Amino acid sequence: MAWFKTYRNYTLILLFTLLIASCTERIDIELDSTYQRLVVQGAVTTDSIRHRIILTTSSDYFANMPSPRVSGAVVELSFNDQTLTLAENMTIPGLYETAEAFRGVPGTSYELDISNVDVDEDGLYDDYHAESTMPGGAELHSIALRYFTTPIISGYQVLMYASHPVDQRDRFGFRIWKNKVLLTDSLSSYTVFSDDLFDSGDLPGFPVGFLSDDVPSQAVHPGDTITFELESIDQAYYDFVIDAQLEMVGNIPLFSGPSANIRSNISNGGMGIFAAYSILRASTIHEP
Amino acid sequence: MLRMLKTGLILVSLFVSIVVEAQVNFTVSGYVRDAATGEELIGATVAIMNSGAGTTSNEYGYYSLSMKSDFYTLVYAYLGYGSVSRPIQLNNDMVFNVELTESTLELEEVTIRADRDNANITKLETGSNRLAIQTIRKIPAFLGEVDIIKAIQLLPGVQVTSEGSSGFSVRGGGRDQNLILLDEATVYNASHLIGFFSVFNNDAIKDVKLYKGDIPASAGGRLASLLDVRMKEGNRKQFSASGGIGTIASRLTLEGPIVSEKVSFLLSARRTYADLFLKFSGNDAINQNRLYFFDLNGKVNYIINDRNRIYFSSYYGKDVFANDFAGMFFGNRTFTMRWNHLFTKKLFSNFTLINSHYFYDLGTPEGSSQYFNWMSVLNDYGVKGDFIWYPSPEHTFRFGGWATYHGIKPGTIEAEQGDITMTSVLPHNHSLDNGIYFSGESDLGEKFSIRYGLRYSMFHNVGLATVYEYDDEYQVTDSILYEKGDFFNSYHGLEPRFAANYILNDQQSLKASYARTRQYIQLASNSSAGTPLEIWYPSSPNIKPQISDQVSVGYFRNFMDHSLETSVELYYKMMSNSIDFRDHAQLLLNPRLEGEIRIGEATSYGAEIYIKYEKEGFSGWISYTLSRTIREFPDINEGNPYPAPYDKPHDLALVLTYDVSPRISVAANWIYSTGIPYTMPAGRYEVMGNILPVYTGRNEYRLPDYHRLDLSFTIRGKQKPGKRWRGEWNFSAYNAYARKNIWTLNFVQDEANPDVTYAEMTYLFSIVPAITYNFKF
Repeated sequence: MAWFKTYRNYTLILLFTLLIASCTERIDIELDSTYQRLVVQGAVTTDSIRHRIILTTSSDYFANMPSPRVSGAVVELSFNDQTLTLAENMTIPGLYETAEAFRGVPGTSYELDISNVDVDEDGLYDDYHAESTMPGGAELHSIALRYFTTPIISGYQVLMYASHPVDQRDRFGFRIWKNKVLLTDSLSSYTVFSDDLFDSGDLPGFPVGFLSDDVPSQAVHPGDTITFELESIDQAYYDFVIDAQLEMVGNIPLFSGPSANIRSNISNGGMGIFAAYSILRASTIHEP
Repeated sequence: MLRMLKTGLILVSLFVSIVVEAQVNFTVSGYVRDAATGEELIGATVAIMNSGAGTTSNEYGYYSLSMKSDFYTLVYAYLGYGSVSRPIQLNNDMVFNVELTESTLELEEVTIRADRDNANITKLETGSNRLAIQTIRKIPAFLGEVDIIKAIQLLPGVQVTSEGSSGFSVRGGGRDQNLILLDEATVYNASHLIGFFSVFNNDAIKDVKLYKGDIPASAGGRLASLLDVRMKEGNRKQFSASGGIGTIASRLTLEGPIVSEKVSFLLSARRTYADLFLKFSGNDAINQNRLYFFDLNGKVNYIINDRNRIYFSSYYGKDVFANDFAGMFFGNRTFTMRWNHLFTKKLFSNFTLINSHYFYDLGTPEGSSQYFNWMSVLNDYGVKGDFIWYPSPEHTFRFGGWATYHGIKPGTIEAEQGDITMTSVLPHNHSLDNGIYFSGESDLGEKFSIRYGLRYSMFHNVGLATVYEYDDEYQVTDSILYEKGDFFNSYHGLEPRFAANYILNDQQSLKASYARTRQYIQLASNSSAGTPLEIWYPSSPNIKPQISDQVSVGYFRNFMDHSLETSVELYYKMMSNSIDFRDHAQLLLNPRLEGEIRIGEATSYGAEIYIKYEKEGFSGWISYTLSRTIREFPDINEGNPYPAPYDKPHDLALVLTYDVSPRISVAANWIYSTGIPYTMPAGRYEVMGNILPVYTGRNEYRLPDYHRLDLSFTIRGKQKPGKRWRGEWNFSAYNAYARKNIWTLNFVQDEANPDVTYAEMTYLFSIVPAITYNFKF
C-alpha cells in the first residue's frame, strides 16, 4: 500500500526523532553455513518480448561475492497445452530465454519446470516447479503530477487514474520511468498495493509514487516525460515483494516481528519468484 | 462444568458453616494509616502478640479481627514504617484506627521494634513482590524520572522486553499477559515515549504490588501477572504539595483535605518538554516537531460515615508527536468510582464502576491536501463487587463478581488523496467477560496456612460482527455476519488457585502454589518493544482462550534478625492455546487479522533467587533468575521448538542504596542478562539487485549479553524546625560505563559494493546523565 508506506515512514521519522542519540556501528557476528538453494527470478508479462528466467544459487551470508549462476538446467514454460523450452544464453550463464518473443494473456496459467540441476551438490538432480496465473481486468486511464511539499520532503507525486473490477481482490505493482530510465529498478523501490481496504473500483488520482526534489535522478524538470507502469500481479508475487521489503527494512524492535524466510512459489525448497503479470502504461510530460 | 461448580459451592458452604460455628465473640477493626498524611496503608500486618495469628489490612487499609473476650496486644507494622503495639481488653466490639509513622520520621516514644519483620516468612503469598514507593524513589532512574515499572523490572522473574522499554515479561509471558491495574482500571498501554517512561507518575502512587504466579482469585484475564497500582487518596490532614523539575519533565502534585478528616483530594500532573530542546536544532525536520507527553491524576475520597466511603479517581495521559504536516497522538484514560461499605465489622465490601479507554490517532491535519487519518479506540466499561469476610483471625474469605464490556474499534481510516475520498472501517469487536470468584485464607494451626480460591470466568463475543472462516492454509473461505446484540460465541472455565505455607520456624518457611489463569483478550503484536499502534483483539470462534497452569514452590529464609531476607522459588508453567504470529505477519490494518495467528503450546520454567537486605540506611537486593521459555507451534519454525522472544536464561539485578548521612544518599543498579533470542541469516541470495537472507530457524541465535550500571547521588536541604519545605537534588547517570547494548541488529547490503553484506548494530544509549530537583511542602 503506497500511501500506507508513506505515512508509516512519516511516523517512523517522528518516532526516530526520539532516537537522535542512537548510534549504529558494524559488528562482527559469526554465522553458520547452510546448504545451497536454487534461486529463480523471472516473469511472463503482456509485453511482446523474449521472456527470461534467471537461475542462481544461494550462498553463505558473508560470502561477499556475486551469486553463483546455474548452468545446464532444463527450463520449460508451459501454458495452454504448449511447452516452450528456454535456452541458456551463450554469453550470460544462468540466463534462460524463450526462442521467440510472445505476449502473455491475462487469465492464462503459466507453469515453469526446472530440471537437471543439483544445487545442493548431493549428486542427485532435483526438479522444481512454479505456477502463476496472470491477473487482469484493470484499466489505466491516465497519470498526472502534483507538487507536494512538507518541512521534511518536497517533490512531485505521481497520481494514477485507474479502475478495476469491484468484486475482484486485486494486487498491483507500480513502476515509474523518467525519460525512459527506470527509477524503481530494485526490489526496495518497487511498490506493491492491495485493494483490501478499498470498496470502490475507481482509483481517480491515487498516489502511486513520489519523485523527490532532493534526489537528482528523480527530480522533475519541465519537459521531462514520466511513464507509469501498472502491473496486475498475483498473490504469490505480492507476498514475495512484501516479505522481501520487510527483510530489507531490517529489524526495528518497535515494528518488526522475528525475521523469516521470504515466501516463494518455487517448489522443492527453491527460492525467488516466478510471476505472470499484465502491464498497463501511461505517460505525461511535465509542463513548466 | 455446572455440576462441578455446584459441587464446589456446596463444599465451600459446608466449610464456611464449620468456620461460622467456630466464630468468636468480639471484633476489633479499623484502618491502618500513615500518621503524616492519613493515607490508608495497604498490606499492613496486624499481629496478635505471642499467638502467631493476625491479619493484614486490605486494599483500602481496613482490618478486622474477631476473637474471644480477653486481653491482647496488637502489633501494627508496615514496610518502611515504625511499628506500633496496642494492648487491648476485648470485651466488646472495638474500633482502632492506627497511624504509623515513616521510619525516617519515627518518634521514639510511639514505636517499638517490630516482632513481625518476618512477614515474608509468615505470609502465604508466593511469587509476589510489594515495592514501597519510597524504595522505588531511591533507585537510579532513566533521565531522573522515577518509574515504578522500571523498578519492577529489577525483581526476580521479571525481564525487560527491549532496551529502555516499559514492557516487561513475567516468567516468560508476553507483554500483553500482564494485567496492569491503576485503581482497579485496566491500563492497556502503560508506556510513554515509545516505552522510555511508564504512565505512572510516582508522586501520585501509593502502592505497587506485582503477583507473578499466585494471582488472587479476584483478579484474572491475563496469563502471567497482575501489577496492582494504587493511587494515593490525598492528604487528609493538611494541604501539601510535592513535585520535581527534571531534565526532561516536571511534575507537581497537590493534595489535602477539602473537609478535614472527611474529604480529601489529590491532583497530580506531569509534562515532558523534550520538544523545547528540539527547537534548538537547525534541522527543520526536527525543530518543528511537537514531542511531549503529559499525565493527569485526580482523586477525591469522601468518608461518609464509619460504614461508608466513596472514591472517585481518574487518570488521563497523552503522547503527542506532531508537526505541521503529520501527527500521532495516543493515550489512556481511566475512571474508577468505588464505594466501600461495611455491612458489619466483619464483612467489608467494595463496589466499583470502571472505565478504561485507550486510543491512538495518526494522520495529517483535516483540510490538508493530503488528508489522512487513522484512529483506533478501545473502551472497557465494568462493574465489580468484592466482599471480604473476617469470621476469625484464622480465616478470611473473599468473594465477588464482575462484568466488563470490551469495545474495540481496531481501525477507522479516512483519506482524501486527490479526487479519492476513502473511508475504511475495520470490523469492530464487542465482547463481554464476567464471572464470580471465591477464595479463603485459613490458618490450620500455628505453622500451616492455606489459601484456596476458585474463579469462574465467562467470555462472550457479541454482535455486530463479521466472523471469517479459514481453511487449513489460513485462507478465508466464508464469512458470517452476526446481528447487533447477538451473543454468538462463548467460552467459560474454572480457574482454581491454591497456596500453602508451612512455617518451619521463625526464620524459615516452605511455600507452594498452583494457579490456572485464562486470557480472553490479547495484543496483536509480534515486536519486542511494541508501538502505540498495536491493537487488542478478543477470543473468538477462531481464537480459543489462552490457558496457563503454573506450579511453584519456594523456600524462604531470613538471617540477621530478619534484616537479610532470602528466598528461592522454582516454577513450572504450561501454556496452551498460546498465540504467536506467522512469519511476516501483517498485524496493522488487517481485516483478516485472525488469519495471521498461529496456535501452539509454550512452557516456561525457572528458579528465582532473591536476597534482600534492609537496615539503617543501607538497603538493596540481588535478584537472579535462571529460566527458559520455549514455544512449540505446528505452523511456525517447521514445527520445531524455539525460544520465546523474552527467553533470557540468566537475568541478574543488583540494587543498592546507602544513606551516607541524613542529607546524602547514593544508589546503584547493575543489571546483567543473557542476550535475547534472535533470528539471523545463515545464507543469502540475490533478486533484482537486492541481497535477501536465508534463515535456518526462528530465534536460533542470541544477541550479545546485556549489562548496565546506573548510579545516583542525592543531596537534601537542611531541615530546620518549623520549615515545611523539603528539597533535594538528584544527580543520576544511566548506563554509567557507556555499555553499547544492542537495541537491534541488522544485516545490511553495502551500497558502495552491492556484493558485500555486513552486520550492523544499533544501540540507543551511551551514558545518560540527568539532574532533578524534587521538593515537598
